[in-house]
Amino acid sequence: MKPQLTLQTPLELPYEEISNYLNQLWISEDSDNSGANTFTLIVWQPAWLEQCLVQSGLINGPITGNLSPEIIEVAKNFILDQSLPITTSLNSGELLSLLKENLAKRDFEDYRGQFFESSISTLNPRRLITLAPTLNNSAIKTFVSAYCPLSESSMTQPICGDLVVIRGDSNSIEKKGLKIIDQLFIDELPSWLWWNGNLDESAEIFEYFINHGQRLIIDTALGSPKRCLDVLDQLLNSNKAINDLNWVRLKSWRESLAMIFDPPSRRPILAHITDIDVDIVGDHLIQALFLISWISDKLEWDFVNVERNNESIKIKFMRKNGDTISTTINPLPLGNPSIHLGQVIGLRLISKISDVQKNNTCIILGCESVECMRLEAGGMADMQLIEKVVPNSFSSSEYDVSKLLGSSRGNTSPLFENTIRIALQIFNSFHDK
Amino acid sequence: MSSTLSNPLRLGLRQERVISPQCLIIFGASGDLTHRKLIPALFELYLQRRIPSEFGIVGCARRPWSDIEFREKMKLKLSNQILGKEKEWDQFSNYLFYESVDLQQSDHVIRLSKRLNEIDKTQATHGNRTFYLSVSPNFYASGCKALKAAGLIDDPKKSRVVIEKPFGRDYSSAKKLNKIVQSCADESQIYRIDHYLGKETVQNILVLRFANTIFEPIWNRNYISSVQITSSETVGVEDRAGYYESSGALRDMLQNHLTQMLAVTAMEPPGKFEPEAIRNEKAKVLQAAKLADENEPWNCCIRGQYGEGGNSSNRLKGYRTEDGVNTNSTTETYIAAKVFVDNWRWQGVPFYLRTGKRLPKRLGEIVLTFKDVPVHLFESTIINPAPNQLILRIQPNEGATFKFEVKSPGSGMKSRPVEMEFSYDESFGEPSDEGYVRLLADAMLSDPTLFTRSDEVEAAWKLYTPLIELMENSPWKLPIHNYESMTWGPPESDHLLSKDNIFWRRP
Repeated sequence: MKPQLTLQTPLELPYEEISNYLNQLWISEDSDNSGANTFTLIVWQPAWLEQCLVQSGLINGPITGNLSPEIIEVAKNFILDQSLPITTSLNSGELLSLLKENLAKRDFEDYRGQFFESSISTLNPRRLITLAPTLNNSAIKTFVSAYCPLSESSMTQPICGDLVVIRGDSNSIEKKGLKIIDQLFIDELPSWLWWNGNLDESAEIFEYFINHGQRLIIDTALGSPKRCLDVLDQLLNSNKAINDLNWVRLKSWRESLAMIFDPPSRRPILAHITDIDVDIVGDHLIQALFLISWISDKLEWDFVNVERNNESIKIKFMRKNGDTISTTINPLPLGNPSIHLGQVIGLRLISKISDVQKNNTCIILGCESVECMRLEAGGMADMQLIEKVVPNSFSSSEYDVSKLLGSSRGNTSPLFENTIRIALQIFNSFHDK
Repeated sequence: MSSTLSNPLRLGLRQERVISPQCLIIFGASGDLTHRKLIPALFELYLQRRIPSEFGIVGCARRPWSDIEFREKMKLKLSNQILGKEKEWDQFSNYLFYESVDLQQSDHVIRLSKRLNEIDKTQATHGNRTFYLSVSPNFYASGCKALKAAGLIDDPKKSRVVIEKPFGRDYSSAKKLNKIVQSCADESQIYRIDHYLGKETVQNILVLRFANTIFEPIWNRNYISSVQITSSETVGVEDRAGYYESSGALRDMLQNHLTQMLAVTAMEPPGKFEPEAIRNEKAKVLQAAKLADENEPWNCCIRGQYGEGGNSSNRLKGYRTEDGVNTNSTTETYIAAKVFVDNWRWQGVPFYLRTGKRLPKRLGEIVLTFKDVPVHLFESTIINPAPNQLILRIQPNEGATFKFEVKSPGSGMKSRPVEMEFSYDESFGEPSDEGYVRLLADAMLSDPTLFTRSDEVEAAWKLYTPLIELMENSPWKLPIHNYESMTWGPPESDHLLSKDNIFWRRP
């Protein structure tokens, strides 16, 4: 989907005047055109990597907030030039610190909040509010504009909305920006917060949104695993709707695994699973924990214990009949910096229905054929082998967010809720040791 | 090694669209369709948690029932489906309301309007309404006018009208009816239902064709020699003689269900999977369809009527001796027709359509027969090498079969046909929803993709106009051939194909 720009340059207004200006905007003689009756979307949009690359002169502006292929390529080269480990995440603190050492005072345009994917704009958000924290100390600046998403169908009348950009350093956003937002909520419409940043940062701002009843969209691949699980725990206990892009990206794995057991003839395999191996990129284990927790929930296994050694994390479960299931999370280095840490790249599931090796089943899901071959090692190819290549998810975070906005019922999916509970149980047991 | 258990990893994975808060108003609520199809479909949607808590179903008919009586009658009629789900039914039945309404009487419709406003408040349905006309086709026009007069369908965003088949009796009546209905409501509010389009396998034709690279390049006159579309029933006229005597197989099945299957099979790829894009392509293909011989239509159509049949333990009556049927009836219970689609893709490829009652099997299928290889290099183990065929089974045992030649085991190079099989049951193991479940949900979701647009209906009637005129003006030219019950129709039907050196597939 092509990104859409606002048709008019947003107007810079003193923050005291914004609320009044927006109210005037929709008072029109044409009573039909009173703006979309949909939802408010607030986006925390730090784009730290992009800001650092622009300010250090490695790429040209403007800053858009979108993770473009150019940004990824330049960041990868920087990682290689600085002799950082090849698997360094594009969101890692180490990378950003190094970039910050060489910031130049360059002028650049900041288009954050004016530049969003059409997959989101076609949902006609009534109000888009972007919080755009800056690297440098700066006071709050606010911009407003009306926008009308261009519809591909000429039959439909455009449904318009408005957007507000609140720009300034994190400190001023916390002190002043949140007060501005307080006045911008439309009471009768639901509002969503998309925290498009690391969960470790700006905890006070994040906390504000938790306490203000927003429906949250987070990404547990961004932030330390402990912090991410603490956030999930907090949200779950306070009955907040949780939408996690890290869980959304797991969908093709869950769908592919479920697809294998759609034919009724294969379902008995599920009752004899003995081992599961999950390969992930890097050592951020949340997504792998989600996958294992989801399987254990659906197959009604009870968590027994978890152990960690140098190479992997081993989690044991028990079936209702007392059989033990061993699951292992294997962090693997790949030859590329990761955009999303800890993404699942392979799954091996072994079901032993008999003592004769060839009558048993090995199911391998890999995101590329090399991964399938790796998982075949250790005599697995002697078993009945069911292999499937899971397509890499190339969708952008904006696209995933638009899917969530379009389909979510405003509550946490029961599947995800159960998964979080088991993942927390495992992680806490592991962390307590 | 098989299991009938559902796939535990599949549970909760499918994200179904949730219907928005609204009231569904069923006119003709005391009729068969309501308790046989509509209420069971709505109960199924409730069990699938797709019905919102802000919802109401208002049954309307002339009988002076109360809400409680309507609930009890539905419970009695659905007792088999409710078995083991009594608690869920009790919760579901809270959505059921009843209002005694004669659509011909304006004061009744005004009273209904007031009742709907009350239900809007108690059920929080925000004036969002779907009106389902499950009434005699004679009342479609007056029903729409009554709704319009009461202001019930004024808001195109908040009201929809679902109309059952048959939509008209011929081209001119369909056109007239469209005009009346469109004067009452916007076309975007009108949902003409054809429950065949709700079937999973009919929709699968679109996926099979447009989600795979291997089929579309050969889906044309260069590779396909003929297409057969069959819909057969084992039952006779049963208790529908009143309707069927004035309808017959052409109006009851051929003009709608079979022609919609033809449209889905022959349409061009739409630019997008969007309702209007799909309906545009279906309309275009129907506008390009014509009888194989429009000047002498008797050459491309065979009509039949079932006679006695069965065996000594189960004698079956002939059509003319069925209850409610005229003893000299000339209503066809079987019809076969040859049609061409006059466009670039299908030029010269015959489409043979047949439907009938009291045939040996209940069946719906589309058979695409591919052209013969240019040179036969190998001797066949049977007399003639069988052409490749792709068989799409609509019902029962939904799925697809591909027939192709392989080397027969042994010395020499003899070939024989084998079948490659795909079955929904074996691959998914979950029964697919009844057509009405899908279509009711789609109508309430304002998704018209699987509903027939006015130009499609008119084009489908226009296609058969030469036959209808012949049947009305010179019926002797299109005689009714008798066929024994539980056989595959009159022998003349076989001749229709054998003239082209083709045979009906014996399923």
